Amino acid sequence: MKVHVKAFATFREVMDSQFDMDFPKGATIHTLLAELTGKFEGLGELMFAAPGTLRDFVNILKNGRNVHFLAGLDTPLDDGDVIALFPPVAGG
Amino acid sequence: MDGYAGKMVYADLSARKVTIKPTPMELKKQYLGGRGFGIRLLTDMVDPKIDPLSDKNVVVYAAGPLTGTGIPLGSRYEVSTISPLTGTAMSANSGGVFGWKMKKAGFDAVVVTGKAKKPVYLLLDNGKAELRDAAHLWGKTTGQTTDAIMEELKDDKVRVSCIGPAGEKLVLFACIINEKARAAGRGGVGAVMGSKNLKAIAARGDLPIKAADEAQLNVVKDRVRKKIEENGIEKALHNYGTAVLINIINENYVLPTRNFQTAHFPNAEKVSGETIAKTILKKPKGCFACIVQCGRVHEFDGESGEGPEYEPDWAFGPDCGIDDLKAVARANNICNEYGLDAISAPATIACLMEMAEKGYVKHPIRFGDAKGMLKLVEQIAKREDIGNELAEGSFRFATKYGHPEFSMSSKKQELPAYDPRGIQGYGLATATSVRGGDHVYGYMISPEVLGAPEKLDPYVTKGKPQWVKTFQDLTASIDASGMCLFSSFALDAQDYADLLTATTGMKIDPAELLKIGERIWNLQKLYNIKRGLGRKDDTLPARLLNEPLKEGAPTGQVWKRDEMLDEYYTLRGWDAEGTPTKEKRKELGLA
Ligand code: SF4
Repeated sequence: MKVHVKAFATFREVMDSQFDMDFPKGATIHTLLAELTGKFEGLGELMFAAPGTLRDFVNILKNGRNVHFLAGLDTPLDDGDVIALFPPVAGG
Repeated sequence: MDGYAGKMVYADLSARKVTIKPTPMELKKQYLGGRGFGIRLLTDMVDPKIDPLSDKNVVVYAAGPLTGTGIPLGSRYEVSTISPLTGTAMSANSGGVFGWKMKKAGFDAVVVTGKAKKPVYLLLDNGKAELRDAAHLWGKTTGQTTDAIMEELKDDKVRVSCIGPAGEKLVLFACIINEKARAAGRGGVGAVMGSKNLKAIAARGDLPIKAADEAQLNVVKDRVRKKIEENGIEKALHNYGTAVLINIINENYVLPTRNFQTAHFPNAEKVSGETIAKTILKKPKGCFACIVQCGRVHEFDGESGEGPEYEPDWAFGPDCGIDDLKAVARANNICNEYGLDAISAPATIACLMEMAEKGYVKHPIRFGDAKGMLKLVEQIAKREDIGNELAEGSFRFATKYGHPEFSMSSKKQELPAYDPRGIQGYGLATATSVRGGDHVYGYMISPEVLGAPEKLDPYVTKGKPQWVKTFQDLTASIDASGMCLFSSFALDAQDYADLLTATTGMKIDPAELLKIGERIWNLQKLYNIKRGLGRKDDTLPARLLNEPLKEGAPTGQVWKRDEMLDEYYTLRGWDAEGTPTKEKRKELGLA
């Protein structure tokens, strides 16, 4: 299945800003992040405080919904998903 | 020494007289400074029945005890007055270096009453204060005014906070600008200055600002500096400015688009903070003693200026259906030059765009028309043609044409850049804001969208009233302290309490800090009630309560006022009408 990935703000300093990825059925946000951190040097450090624990204020959206309110890193990926990755950001 | 400058200036413009008095201890204890000083003095001095643009209104400029003490992000001053736009007790906050200069000139606050016969400006000068002729400055932009005062005083260290032509022409959302680009933006504070024939306040001086316990303050300063530096949020603010929010709010499907008709703008990337950084950004810029530097200095096509910040970027951009970043930056510069609130001006234009497109107003403007938008901004500032009607704000404008429902405002002030339908607590915060449509009187976006200090589900109403109350009270005390609100992404109530204790020598713990904020909040509320506002006004436009969002994750959501308002009133100790009870007033010393 195909998933569209978008990265924003400081994440763009270490990875492409948007691209498609292919995953087998059963893949999760966790699968996606594992692949991305392997592919883009420095991303893991920006994203994770410890293995499996996202840094505070990192936000991952699946089609506009924060995965924190779905199943977190275990949230399953579905064909056609748009996954948006945000480092800590603020403003006002 | 207690962080305060120790004196206040009373400028009676009608009598052309200034008086200097000590800053009262009781005022410091109960209200800290900044917004607290402003609201207390204002509500004591101004009869609630007056017309805000009459000579009976009062303008208070006030810094806080932490302003200019060298604490990172301690840069703020507040301007408080009765708003001609909302009719509420208003305070507008600005950064830059003016607040620090006011204290270096020897003053915690300036209280302006009456009306000058001819234009004047007030010079705060190393412990003295003087009203000076400003007839030659009338009609000048904020940049020209600033340069002219520096030139006249032959002093490039003097700092100027002034109005532009929009304030002179009493545009109901005219703002005050210091250092050419920092705005006390909201509520028409600039129009009140204009109505008093007060063009500017200038400040210079070199008087010391000393803390009660310098050694302890240095310890706390180091701690907060570290917290700010280690918090990833501040890095994004430095690299991309506040407009870094454009993409995240859009990706959450809560970025109001085309006057809140939808909440997603497909071309958001073109006006995003990331695009600003790649294209027009020359360098980041900060306020006094700021280590974050979220300000943007831009340069393009021979034009230079500052911004756009997130709010104007959204308002001139997606809210007007415009994806031309240079037009947005240009429009923002016009607002700074003429002294227009860069939220209300574009949001009022967006209101016209919808009404014109739907045939309720005859006008050629349409969503996406950048050239037409730029022309309208100037027309508003000069009150020319339709600009004269738009200068009254979207609510009065839409009402005049028989359709107030197209005004996306609360208490007649235009709403900021978030769609409350997909962010329930934020909706409650803005609907109950004691200064009208607003985001910085209780920034619920932080927990509900950005995840700080913790992630709250934005679609859920449960638990939100308590969060809103706490955020509103904490923000009121931060605004009183002189700190920039952005510090709260990294700091907590204990940090502010420790900074205040070391600086002022007053024993302030987190509970006391929140109590001071609650006192300010209730005082504003009580005054608004005297001006005729009540439960009916604690709401949002009908569109947000009745028309569900149609795109993305929040599809189907509306803003659920009824699930939160009563609980919020109860938590606040208010009755069903939203009036603070006797017990609550007594508890806060407001009986
Ligand atoms: S964070 Fe931004 S607005 Fe706040 S003090 Fe620093 S530069 Fe000014």
